[in-house]
Amino acid sequence: MTTHLTKLLALAILAAGIGAASPALAHPHVYVAVRSEIVFAPDGKITGVRHSWTFDEMYSAFAVQGMVKEGKTNQSELNELAKTNVKQLAEYSYFTIARAGGKSAEFKDVTDATITLDAKQNVTLHFTAEFKVPASANKAFMLQVFDPDYFVAFDFEKQNPVIMKNAPQGCSLRMVTPRPLTDEETRRLQQSAGTNDSPGADFGAKLATRASVACP
Amino acid sequence: MHSRYSSARTWLAIGIIGACAVALLTGGGDALAQAKNPFNVGISEGGAVPQGGITGWIFAQQMAFERMLSSGVRAIKTDTSAVWALMGISFAYGVFHAAGPGHGKAVVASYMFANERALKRGIVISFLAAMLQGLVAIAIVGILAWVLNATSQHMKSVANLVEIASFAGIALLGLWLVWVKGRALFAALPLLKPAAGVSENSAPAATPHEHDHHGHDHHSHDHHSHDHHSHDHAHAATHDHNHEVQTLTPVLTKAHDDHKHGHEHHAHHDHAHGEPGHVHDEHCGHFHAPDPKTLGENFSWGTALATVVTAGARPCSGAILVLVFAVAQGIFLAGVAATFAMALGTALTTGALAAVAVLAKNIALRYAGQGGARGVVLIRALECAAAVAVFLLGATLFLGSAHTL
Repeated sequence: MTTHLTKLLALAILAAGIGAASPALAHPHVYVAVRSEIVFAPDGKITGVRHSWTFDEMYSAFAVQGMVKEGKTNQSELNELAKTNVKQLAEYSYFTIARAGGKSAEFKDVTDATITLDAKQNVTLHFTAEFKVPASANKAFMLQVFDPDYFVAFDFEKQNPVIMKNAPQGCSLRMVTPRPLTDEETRRLQQSAGTNDSPGADFGAKLATRASVACP
Repeated sequence: MHSRYSSARTWLAIGIIGACAVALLTGGGDALAQAKNPFNVGISEGGAVPQGGITGWIFAQQMAFERMLSSGVRAIKTDTSAVWALMGISFAYGVFHAAGPGHGKAVVASYMFANERALKRGIVISFLAAMLQGLVAIAIVGILAWVLNATSQHMKSVANLVEIASFAGIALLGLWLVWVKGRALFAALPLLKPAAGVSENSAPAATPHEHDHHGHDHHSHDHHSHDHHSHDHAHAATHDHNHEVQTLTPVLTKAHDDHKHGHEHHAHHDHAHGEPGHVHDEHCGHFHAPDPKTLGENFSWGTALATVVTAGARPCSGAILVLVFAVAQGIFLAGVAATFAMALGTALTTGALAAVAVLAKNIALRYAGQGGARGVVLIRALECAAAVAVFLLGATLFLGSAHTL
């Protein structure tokens, strides 16, 4: 019986290993370089975030497939696509976490989405994610952009990733890169990988770079 | 004696729990990946969580891979011999990509565990599934993007349809396997009954494989002269009888009643009737365990083909992306070459996974042979659990994606 159990155990471990290894080895298919503008109202409150997301060249080719005719694209077609994108993005809160004093902002529906193509035909999606309620910048304000499923890998641009627009004097901005996960966090993450539970929204937040704003 | 049979039940329970765990792990991981990302390419796929250590490294490698793929395709525009480099990168991409989640692999592995014992056949099945996966991507992008110059949104909806159909296919394949394997399990269940009866009644019983109790020498029976053919027994040819569970009369009568249901080889040999010189009475709790050698040897090309189709029908996002990128660069054939190389790489990984599943199955079968009735039931239970896993996977994925229709 002991040898049976040992073998059974070995089998179970093998199977569990295959199962557990799979989700951990998944990877994103789309890469986005993020540039964001934190928009201030004259009263010093933050009204929203204006994003410019530049996609990798493979996804860009996919996105504009069928729209390039004789090397040219039709801007209205591109804007149609932008509209479709932000409509779907609304279900994901635009992959944007904006928090003031620990409270997450909710977003209005985006109405100004456009797509531009650069010289290398890479797609950039522009849109303003406006808060339903303007956020106070006097409390610690922070901004993150990430896809909790990591199908899309968002990364802030290296140069001037985040700027403050119309910010009151004395406001400062700082980019905070995440510390590596603790062992406990890694364990929780791996546990969640084998189930239908998400590892918890705080995980994506812990892993994503954040822009931190402080106003006097 | 008592402890022996209760430990058998514990063993069975552990086995079933283990199988459920496998089902959850292979199924659950995929279910995670089914949210339709706004930037999907028609196929539901999740990504990785970048973290420290090895996963972080893999994550970085993947990004490098994507870049190498796109620059590999572009390089062919100026130098056609660059196609070899592209194919090399694509092959490696296929190997690593296939190591990620994919219900295709879960289907193949579960199918292998539920059905397959032949290593070569298992590898052929995973190879064919990987090739089909490549062909589907080539067909979708070839027809829609290359020939019809359709937009990404059109391609997405077609790929989405293909995906939903493949999910439905997985659910149906799973249902079929559950039916086949469930019947086999129920057929095997009565084999445990005599044992259960013994432990309940605390009646003495012989140890398995000891045939000399009550002075009967079972081996002296000429089985072929018995009226076996009036019984519906599955292994007519071999008669590799396992004289496994032998019990005393009170228990036996009960057991025989149970054996009427589903037992392929009727335990109650009517030897006494018209068989002179045959000292074989109802004490004979003849147990005919199906030959472990024939377990799992229920191969059907239909089921194998269904596995290939359901596991391979859904193209992978990476192949679609590289193909569309190649179309955009005006060299669709470069994308085709890359996709085939990717499929080969995928076949390598899924083939290895299939081999592990077949190996696991064979180890399980080997000790099922030692375990007699309990072993047989355990194996059937595991097969059944693998079938249930395929069904649940398909049903979950289908229900999760059907609303996008």
